[in-house]
Amino acid sequence: MLREQLELLNNIKAVEFTALELNLYLDTHPTDQRAIMDYNASVQEWERLRAIYVEKYGPLLPTDIVEGSSWRWIEGPWPWEIDY
Amino acid sequence: MNEIPQVILRLGQAYVPFQVYVNRWEPMKALMMGTIFPELYRPYYSEEHRRG
Repeated sequence: MLREQLELLNNIKAVEFTALELNLYLDTHPTDQRAIMDYNASVQEWERLRAIYVEKYGPLLPTDIVEGSSWRWIEGPWPWEIDY
Repeated sequence: MNEIPQVILRLGQAYVPFQVYVNRWEPMKALMMGTIFPELYRPYYSEEHRRG
């Protein structure tokens, strides 16, 4: 896996983690406006990065495959094949 | 024979301070620390580390 691809993948994981943490915080603080704003921004950033990754390197989820006659899901490396 | 205890002990009470969102670490640092909230960062150290 290219360094550039790995960097993008790690950024997606980091932003996803931030969104998840804010999600858990909001479960007990549902009216915290700043947390809601930061959560929304994190989800938007996550979607933006995911779109770039899927476009350049292929699906992150099987549901990312929307067209084509071949099954691209098995083309990328399996998680245990990625050298972090 | 059931004796009435002389000392009335109070029941246990739990108190957890309510978290207030002040700031957070940027995503990559947060991923490494295991939390986005600096106030919740409480790493475990080994016994060896503690002595040293």
